[in-house]
Amino acid sequence: MHTLQDPEFGNKMVTLMAALVLVLQIAMVAQRWIVTNIRLFAAQSFLLAAIANTIAYYNHAPHIYVAAVLTLLAKGILVPIVLERLVARIEIRQEIEPIVNIPLSIVISGGLTLVGYVLAEPFYRPEEAPGAATLGHNALAVAISLFLIGFFMMINRRKALTQVLALLCLENGLFLAAISLTYGMPLIVELGVLFDVLVAVMVLGILVYRIRETFESMDVSRMRRLRG
Amino acid sequence: MIPVFLTAVVQLLLLLTVAPLVGGLIKTLKARLQVRRGPGILQPYRDLHKLFRKGMVLPETASWIFSATPYVVFSATAIAGLMIPMISAKAPLGLFGGVLAVVYLLGLGRFFLALAGLDTGSSFGGLGSSREMTIAALAEPAMMLAVFTVAIGANSTSLSEIARVATSTTWHFLAPAQMLAFAALFIVLIAETGRIPVDNPATHLELTMIHEAMILEYSGPYLGLIEWGASIKQLLLMTLLINAFLPFGLQSKWSLGGLAISLVYLLLKLLVLAVSIVLVETANAKMRFFRVPDLLAMAFTLAALGLVSTFLF
Amino acid sequence: MILALLLAVPLSACAACAVSAVSAVSRRRSVLEAVNVTAFAITFLLALAVASQVLRSGAISLWNGFLYADALSALVILLNAAVALVCSVYAVGYLREDQRLGALDGEVGSHGAEAKLRMYYSLTPLLVFSMLLVTLANNLGVMWAAIELTTLASVFLVTFYGKVTSLEAAWKYAMIGGVGLSMALFGTLLTYYAGHKFPGSEGVAGLNWSILVGQAAQLDKPSMRMAFILVLLGYGTKAGLAPMHTWKPDAYSEAPVPSAAILSVAVLNCAIYGLVRFYVLTSRCLGAQYPGSLLLLLGLFSMGIAVPFVLVQRNFRRMLAYSTIDQAGMMVTALGIGGKLAAFALMLHMTFHTVAKSLLFLSAGNIYQCFKTDLFLKLKGGVLKVLPITGAAFCLGTMAIVGLPPFSLFQSEFLMIRAAFGTAHFLVGALFILFGLGVFTGVTLHVSGMLLGTSEEPRAAWHPWRDTPIAILAVILIVIGFWLPADLLELIRRAAEVVSP
Repeated sequence: MHTLQDPEFGNKMVTLMAALVLVLQIAMVAQRWIVTNIRLFAAQSFLLAAIANTIAYYNHAPHIYVAAVLTLLAKGILVPIVLERLVARIEIRQEIEPIVNIPLSIVISGGLTLVGYVLAEPFYRPEEAPGAATLGHNALAVAISLFLIGFFMMINRRKALTQVLALLCLENGLFLAAISLTYGMPLIVELGVLFDVLVAVMVLGILVYRIRETFESMDVSRMRRLRG
Repeated sequence: MIPVFLTAVVQLLLLLTVAPLVGGLIKTLKARLQVRRGPGILQPYRDLHKLFRKGMVLPETASWIFSATPYVVFSATAIAGLMIPMISAKAPLGLFGGVLAVVYLLGLGRFFLALAGLDTGSSFGGLGSSREMTIAALAEPAMMLAVFTVAIGANSTSLSEIARVATSTTWHFLAPAQMLAFAALFIVLIAETGRIPVDNPATHLELTMIHEAMILEYSGPYLGLIEWGASIKQLLLMTLLINAFLPFGLQSKWSLGGLAISLVYLLLKLLVLAVSIVLVETANAKMRFFRVPDLLAMAFTLAALGLVSTFLF
Repeated sequence: MILALLLAVPLSACAACAVSAVSAVSRRRSVLEAVNVTAFAITFLLALAVASQVLRSGAISLWNGFLYADALSALVILLNAAVALVCSVYAVGYLREDQRLGALDGEVGSHGAEAKLRMYYSLTPLLVFSMLLVTLANNLGVMWAAIELTTLASVFLVTFYGKVTSLEAAWKYAMIGGVGLSMALFGTLLTYYAGHKFPGSEGVAGLNWSILVGQAAQLDKPSMRMAFILVLLGYGTKAGLAPMHTWKPDAYSEAPVPSAAILSVAVLNCAIYGLVRFYVLTSRCLGAQYPGSLLLLLGLFSMGIAVPFVLVQRNFRRMLAYSTIDQAGMMVTALGIGGKLAAFALMLHMTFHTVAKSLLFLSAGNIYQCFKTDLFLKLKGGVLKVLPITGAAFCLGTMAIVGLPPFSLFQSEFLMIRAAFGTAHFLVGALFILFGLGVFTGVTLHVSGMLLGTSEEPRAAWHPWRDTPIAILAVILIVIGFWLPADLLELIRRAAEVVSP
């Protein structure tokens, strides 16, 4: 059990899982099938909950467990189910070619990851409480990268549903940043944020459905009537 | 201390004998997964034996490149193979540049093969050559970056040095840099050995061929040499993947007892890797050619991230 | 106690209207209308009570500092409650007219007029509740959640008419708002991080504004720097600052007019409120120069962008939206100039803008319903003859909003310019005047074309529900140009002190 108690091991596990989260995000950028995108998002949320649990364990911060479980339930299970049901109703499987072609978007995502690392640099202070507290550096860099890549995905995508997914990835990045910077925000704030995310997904889901009905397609580049 | 000459011979013999075995293993496993019986593990040996005894037909329009290519491919791959640490951390041959030399030797073989495809004057050969070059243009940088990631950890591009460092110090496979480089190199392995989802090694349709299209006009011993060279390349890349990232069981010196242990470990790890390749092949369909750059761009980005992460993590 | 009541009233109105489908009696339109108007009337009275209590005894708080109301909150609550009341009275008449005209049947996915009315009357109190929560919440994270709730509650108000263009507007609104608010959340998180070193900062208190403001000087500087940029971009999106303003013209022209008025005035007030809270924290941590320059940049850019769009505008509701963007830019510029005078000017401007803009939107609604178009080309003029009271009110509102003396907005803008030149922001002052002139030209051109002249329509009758609020607002607009009640002036002054003591 000694390895399990060692914060170095925890650090390695968190780093590993953060790298996996990043790989999943880049895989989402590369994906063409909407259903696979949704499943990758679910896997990413699972990993985030696992990271939160690990950080909670090594820092003896029980309130993060609650946040982790809530994230798991809401973003790992509920939201993907809602979105997949929506896809089934809309009957669209594939994304048309994104605005920037895929190999270039992947390379741009790699570049954004580096930007995320540079931005996270000022927050890395190993001289403060060494060991458990630095658990967060890699996770914070990955969180900022997730944020930036989600932003890029939102601009890059044409289908309304994938834009919603990009927004959710943004939120994922924020969650990871919250966990790694401050071991989660006060519980009530976490609850508020989660509630907002859920309601937002519902609202956006309904909007996407109505858009599909109206425009016969989820292609947002067709919505061009309001100008000036 | 066994003289270097002997180690080279031993490794060469190992390469030549094990390479077709790995190919047969993969084919048979794939067949079994698809509920077929498969050709049997030793089938490639029988194929080679048959090919070397057959007569050859050469196209009239072909030049000396057509005849030279099988020899170039075979020898380049064999020399590159001598530089990879297979059963000992100290590879028999250590040319300047280490891993760069390996990449360029493989590149030399590919260059001649592409030329030979064009040389025959048939359009399918040209098709295969251009496709092969497209894939190579993306796969080679990814491979180099991935191996550099490991090289940085060992402060040298010599593969022997890399393997030695790997076996000696506390090597963490779980470091993200290693993982990313491993993932990138795995994708490159699939691309370079022409497996599904990049290329179908068993296809009969010329329009879906890449590697097969280039060697369509070859027959007899030339074909045998090229096929053997291809399987040596496959073994070489698999061994590189195994011994750079999972080097446990690799002995540092050349001693008889150590060699035997190394060999056993190597065969076991090759088996595991072959099984994963078979799983990947069976679970996926061949990608449209225009989608292959997506996959390779992913490999490239993973490798680049892995390389950069050695400085950051 | 008052604070809890203040929150509870609109929430219960929302719940009441939402479940009113239960019985046929409660489903009637008149019940929905009555519940709404009474609820907002009570809310307004409670807001007055809060304001007077804050004036008498300083900041009040409830539930261990969870709800907190100082002069700034009290002012914004008062303004928002007043707007909500006026708009609810107007909405009664407006929606009745819509139902009569058949505009509620919609093109796509029609729910039926009754269901739409129920949706409107449940979502509007929810929107007001969230706006009140924004101003009352002490915890910056809860404030963020409340602002997000305003976005979510108003999305379906934008799609109210179910037209193709409504969907497009709602999608832009939801997406741009979503991204902006994510940035604001990141900024809030960084603020929390900046303050987490202090004891007692775990748990809810770590994000409480009243506590953070006291420790502002010791907050972690690099984090606060990045936090302010993110919050500015985020809440700026909600306020409609350029370049994140593209959702505004669409949303305001597609939403039903009373909702557009609430969105344009009250939600804007909440967004500015959020910006002000963060500005105070940042300026005490990093000095006023850094946040000030960023605010000036965005504020002037917004004012600048409004000018060409107002000049070539073809639709008077979109023109009002660009005017709102311009006003938001003005308020943010005033915040950026800094100093006591500018802060006072900002609070005055917020008050005056509330009155003038709601007047404009409500009159525009009347015009739209009478002429059934919002394009200048099709209106061709004659509004003053057809709708004398509305036309006069629109004219008054326009003169006020472009800053003509003797109207109130002229005074607050003059104070802003004086503050700019007083603190050596000469370029700022010059650009302010220049952009103000540009907007003045554009708006006056279009509005005069619209109001003057003749029209074939017959003179419209007096509609009590719709015209009374407009008349009252017009009278208030004229009066506040010359005189403000002493208590209100004191409240404004105290609110300015929160910004710049």
